[in-house]
Parts: sequence; C-alpha cells; structure tokens
Amino acid sequence: MSLFTEAFMTALLVGAIAAGIPLLLAGLGEQLSEKAGVLNIGIEGMMLSGAYFGFLIAWKTDSALLGFLGGIGGGMIVAALMALLCVRLGLNQIVIGIALTLGAEGATALLHHVQFSQSYPRLSAPMVFSIPGLSQIPVLGTAFFSREPIVYLSLALVGVFAYLYRRTYWGIALQAAGDKPAALDSAGVNVMLIRSGAVLLTGGLVGLGGAFMAIVGAGIFVPFMTSGQGFIGIVLAMLARGQPIWVLGGAILFGACLSLTTALQVAGVDIPTDVIQMLPFAAVMLVLVFLGRKANLPSALGAAYVRGAR
Amino acid sequence: MFRKAYTAILPSVMLALLATSALSQDIKSIAILTPEQGTDFGWNQQGVDGAKAAGKATGVEVITAENLGYGDVRPTLRELAEDGNTLLIAHASGYNTAAPEIGAELGVKVAIVDSPASLKNGAVADYTASGHEGAYLAGRLAAKMSRSGAVGIVVSGEPPSWNSQSAAFAEGVKAEKASTVIRYAVIGPAAYSDAAGGKRVTESLIASGADIIFGQGNGSSFGMLQAVETTKAVDGGKVLFIDVIGDKSTIDKGYLLSSVLWNLTPIYTAMIEDIKADKFGSRNYDIALKNDSVSLLKTPQIPDDIWTSVMAIRDQIVKGDIKVTPKFDADSVHALVSELK
Repeated sequence: MSLFTEAFMTALLVGAIAAGIPLLLAGLGEQLSEKAGVLNIGIEGMMLSGAYFGFLIAWKTDSALLGFLGGIGGGMIVAALMALLCVRLGLNQIVIGIALTLGAEGATALLHHVQFSQSYPRLSAPMVFSIPGLSQIPVLGTAFFSREPIVYLSLALVGVFAYLYRRTYWGIALQAAGDKPAALDSAGVNVMLIRSGAVLLTGGLVGLGGAFMAIVGAGIFVPFMTSGQGFIGIVLAMLARGQPIWVLGGAILFGACLSLTTALQVAGVDIPTDVIQMLPFAAVMLVLVFLGRKANLPSALGAAYVRGAR
Repeated sequence: MFRKAYTAILPSVMLALLATSALSQDIKSIAILTPEQGTDFGWNQQGVDGAKAAGKATGVEVITAENLGYGDVRPTLRELAEDGNTLLIAHASGYNTAAPEIGAELGVKVAIVDSPASLKNGAVADYTASGHEGAYLAGRLAAKMSRSGAVGIVVSGEPPSWNSQSAAFAEGVKAEKASTVIRYAVIGPAAYSDAAGGKRVTESLIASGADIIFGQGNGSSFGMLQAVETTKAVDGGKVLFIDVIGDKSTIDKGYLLSSVLWNLTPIYTAMIEDIKADKFGSRNYDIALKNDSVSLLKTPQIPDDIWTSVMAIRDQIVKGDIKVTPKFDADSVHALVSELK
C-alpha cells in the first residue's frame, strides 16, 4: 500500500496549519504584551480559558463564529486579572502569570467536570471557505485555500500587526511603553492605559487561539488541552523579537515539523520517537536564533511602571 | 500434667497473637492521586472507580485527589501522608519519582506505575497494569474487520502500559491476517491531554489508508474519537475506533468498535490485603483476561460471528494455548511495527 498519496500529503499539510494557527495567535499576543513591557507568562491560562469559553459558546449556540467571540472573551477575562494585578498594582509579572495559568487550569477543569464530564459533547466540523481556482490545486489547494475563515483572518493579522507596529501612533506608543515608559509618560501618554490595553488585546488573541484549538483543532474541550502551547507561543515571541512575520515563520515551521514527525513515524523511519518529537522544538529554535537575533527585546520588559520611581 | 502443658503453651499462644497483631497493619484510609478528573472514561476514571470499589470491599475509606496535572505533586503527596492515609496510590507515571520520595520521608506506603524495578519491601509496589492480552484480541478483531487492509495505532506517549498494548495489538493483527498494514504514530512526548494533537495525528493515519484506529490516550483519545467521527476512510466508508481502559459507549455516535477494558479493583484490593498481612512491597501487581480484570468491550459494530470467534481466541489465551508476552519498552514496539510492515 502506497503511503505518500495525495490524501496523506494533504492531511499532513492540513495538520500543519491546524497546529500552527494557535501558536501564531499565541505568539502574536505575547509579542504585543512584550512590546508594551509586560512579560505575559499567563498566556497558557488565557489560551485555556479561550478554549473553554470558545467551546462552550460554540456548543450552546451551534455557531463557530460566536464560539470564536466567546474564546476572545474568555482570554480577556484572564487578561483583565493580569492587567489589574501586574499593570495597575505592579505585582511580579512572572509570579502572577504562573498563578493565572494554574488558576485557569483548575477553573476550566472544574467547569468541564461539572458540565461535560458525563457527556463529552463534540462539535460538528466548522464551515470552510474555498477560494475559487486556488482550492483546486492538488494537495496545496485543500490545505491552504479551502480552510475555515478564521485561518485566513489569523494569517491576515500578521500583516495588520506589522503595519500597526511600524506605521501608527499606537505602535510607537506601544514600543515606548516597553522601552521608555517614563518618557512616554512625560509626553502625556497614559502608560497604564497602553499597557492594560495591550494585555487585554493579548488575552483576546490568545483566547482566539485557544478557541481555534477547541473548535477547529479538536472539536471538543478537555481539561489541560492546550498542553503547553501557550508556553511555546512565549518562546516564539521571544525568539521573533518584535517581528510578527517571524512569529508566523516560527508557528508554520513548528506546525510543519509536527506533521513531519507524524509522517516519519507513519513511514516507519527507524529513529527513536523522542528524537523525532524533538524536531519541531529544535528546528524553530535553530531557525529563529540564527535569523531573528538582530532584534532586541524592550528594555523595560518585565518591570512594573511606577510614575516617579527610579 | 494438664496444668503444666497449659502453662507451657499459653506464653507461646500469647507470643503468636502479639506477633500477629504487630505484623498485621490497621488500615483505615488510603488515597489515590490522579492527573485528571476521574470522569475521563479512561485511565483516571478506572483508577478512581477501582480504588473506591476496593475500599468498599475491604472496609477502607478512600480519599481521592483528582485533576492534579502532570507537574510536581509533592505538596499533595505530603498533605495526604500527613492526614494519616496508610497507602498513597500515585496514579500517573509522572508521579513515580516523587511518590517513593515522599513515602520514604514520611513513612507511608506508595503504589506507583511504570516502574516495576522500584519494588521495595514494606514501602513501594508497582502496578504497571497491562492489558496486552486484551490488546491482542483487539488486534485480531481489527484485522477481521478492516476493509482496507490497513489499521492505525495512535498513542499519546510511550509509557510501558501503552507500549505493551501497542505491541500486542500489532501481534494480534498479524496473527489474524499477515498482510494487514499497521501504521503507528505518537502524538507527542507526553500528549495525554492533547485532544487537538490526537485528532490531527488520527486524521493523518486515516488518510494513509487506515480504517480502524487503535487509540491510547487520556484526554487526547477524545480527539481521536472526534477524528474518526468526522473523517471518512479512503474508500469513503466509516472509520472505527478501538479505545483502551474505559468504556465510552455512552457517548459513542456509532464509531466505537471496542475497548480493551481494565478493572483495577482486584489490584487495589490485593494491595490493601497485602498491607493488612504485612506483605506490601513483596510483589508487583498486574491485570489479566483470566480473572476478567481485562476484557474486550462488545459493541453493536461487531457482528456476532466475529465476536464469537474473538471470544474463542480469548479462551485459548486463558487456557495458555496462545501466549501473549508483554513488551514494555518503546524500542520493542518500534522494531515490531517496522518488522511487521
């Protein structure tokens, strides 16, 4: 039986995109927070919250669109706590980030236990939008041009953020909040507002990533289902250092490597599974370390801003 | 004469009674720690249900600490030990370093999984339960029912219990129909709750031609189930799923072919009895077809004639006519799956 058929290759590419999109959204979200000077370790929790609320609302309303909006809201709920505790009250960002992740893990697991543990409802496959012409291309067509609208939107966000960071007043203010918050404050811009807004928007993006995992990726919510994807998003953002395009590159590379690991195993390549499973992490780190090292992290990253403090 | 004998025997009897009471341990409560909620129709649920049933059968209170995740559980272990539980059942392979450590520190007996070599008299016992005999039957069933002549094995990691079942499933498939192709893939290093990963990998295996999936995972198995429900086989027909450990029939939408069911009650009961007899730590524990602690789930997807023939194979295993040897290491599974391709 031939293994590398069109159906198999298509499934691998579809899998790569499905695995890469949540990482892209998590990475873009973390990058946004970091630009504003907030090291957001809590995105794993925001993602899980987004996955839970996204699934809950999609299941209740039978609408993937409303589910995605629910995911954005779910991520923002956790992000609001982060903004309150770290930006407003100036508490340690790493400690609060870890606490929020653990809290979100416990809360979503408990909610799942109460609501779904006896029934484990599953969603039907969400609607796909096929781009006429392009979707007919063998293998690539189905994988890239016959996808859920959320996939196109997520990819478009890379360009949107690249534009916002480089060409808008908001992008400059964001950069200043991360690099020279005191200077931004002196210029009459509310640093707290910029940072809080960035954290909330991060929650929305990451929550959308979680909702994607639950609605498109799995079609179900199970406790702990983000399985550290949020932390991989942090790594992508750190290595991409301010460039949305590198987050996209890292996320797609990671997703492609995940599919490659499946292909190698299914093909029966005689390499220990641990080595194969290491491939995505090693590849992303190698590529981004070599290509993304010129950019710098914001100088005030991780430090709470207190007006007048030295 | 009688009085002489009485005075000679009495101290011996007293000594024997004292010795017995010193050896046999009073056991009021035990605790089980699970990484996920005990409602997953799988590993965690079987653990919690098995412990509760064993507690009921032996008159011992059972404390459950669920949903602890896969991180460091030392604080929970310490708390449960200090609460006076005689035995801590650390129901995850990720706990098998921390549990013996805390057990030794606080003098509490611990039961762990996936580390048979850790057996220590009076302190540690392992229950690397393996349903390999049931998995062998599942393999025979899959080969009988596959239309495409290709079946898939998806696992959420490669702990010993999964490995022994993967290997036995592959052996069963080949014993039934040697020409059947077996595709094997691991979702991730410890992707037990990665439902999206389970769906992604399962879809790839289905696209490679598999029309029956043997899936081993905790939360990730729901992603596998979702994949078989939403993806058609290469021939356009239905893909069927064989689960392990628990029974998902109540949430099945007509795609569950079978499950290698585990019943951990006899294991936990034996542990409690061994503690009472002061023999805990002198042996490890396992499950088997012969005492129904391992069985194969019958679903409406299995035609009666095929089920009858599978049950005949079960009887041969129980009698010892067919010997299924567990292979716990991942290398053996890889070698076996490659060799069988």
